[in-house]
Amino acid sequence: MSDPSAPIALTAHLALVSSISFGGFPTVLPDVRNFVVSTHGWMTDQEFASFFAIAQSIPGPNMILMMSFVGWRVWGFPGALASAFATFGPPCAIYFTAYRLWDRFRDAPWQRIVRLGLVPVTMGIVIAGGAVMARAADTGWRTAGLTIAAAAITLATRFNPMWMLLAGAALGGLGLL
Amino acid sequence: MTEAAHQQRVGRPVPLSALFTAFLTVSLCGVGGGGGIVWARRIAVENRRWISDGEFADIVSLCQFMPGPNIVGIAVCVGAKMRGAIGTIAALCGFLVIPWAVGFSLGVLCLEYSHLAILRNILGGIAAAAAGLLIATGIRLLMPHRRRPAALLFAALAFGLIIFGRLPLLVVLFGLVPLSIAVAGVENARAR
Repeated sequence: MSDPSAPIALTAHLALVSSISFGGFPTVLPDVRNFVVSTHGWMTDQEFASFFAIAQSIPGPNMILMMSFVGWRVWGFPGALASAFATFGPPCAIYFTAYRLWDRFRDAPWQRIVRLGLVPVTMGIVIAGGAVMARAADTGWRTAGLTIAAAAITLATRFNPMWMLLAGAALGGLGLL
Repeated sequence: MTEAAHQQRVGRPVPLSALFTAFLTVSLCGVGGGGGIVWARRIAVENRRWISDGEFADIVSLCQFMPGPNIVGIAVCVGAKMRGAIGTIAALCGFLVIPWAVGFSLGVLCLEYSHLAILRNILGGIAAAAAGLLIATGIRLLMPHRRRPAALLFAALAFGLIIFGRLPLLVVLFGLVPLSIAVAGVENARAR
């Protein structure tokens, strides 16, 4: 890195966008891409895309991992740690405060009404998130069948979901999808 | 269920180590975007019975409205509910420290081998199954509301506006939620 202030600029930018990433970190991904690829040229588009693909397929906190790869590319291991903290630190403070407030008014009548209105909308969004993932992952009728089967089995039984993921890995690894 | 969870919390506090290991498991199992909700519900609601499905849906909804990685918010909120600030730290450490170290090392290795076809096929199969799990979890958390036609309507609207309308999440959230709450308020007033 030619610019010694790059790690500070990256960490500050990540802390800022993580504080406004309503609806999860993927909503600010386009902004982060512009910042690190277009504005500063710290990495190529291909590198950024492969960070995303790998973070998505590794178990663990995906978006925090992805930003760690970005930080690692800019400033090695210290950059990875700084980016991780900038990604989860500010939102965690906000979550904690918000939950404390919500819990304090647990028995207030208005909260029951807010809950009745809020939960259906967010669950529609969760299901839509699954559908968006399915659209990206389901490249043919076999993968679409796998998605439907995994959903149906999860709803009908209490099987450990790990079996569904292992079945997906096995079918994919054997070249059956 | 809510009462039972409350009783358990008062009588015998959940050990911090249990919060740590529970969210360590959630973190390691949650492959793919959004997968964390599947596992957090499985472990906190079904296995450990710390909270009810209703409370879990509350927490997910609250986190949807906050900035940041929502699944981390679930760890923060469940930790805070069970043991306060120290519980939040235990859940958060379980969720982040070991999985981050493992994931970061694996990722750096993967970046070296990302061209292998078999690796990509395996990841493709996992992604397809993970999408199904996420859809099922959303449907399951919606089930307690299935007798209210307005709830089903707003869930369908949120789904449709994102999938078919391709509207940004924030627009859908801030457009539908006030309407949905207003309808719930009117229903509530009529029921009296």
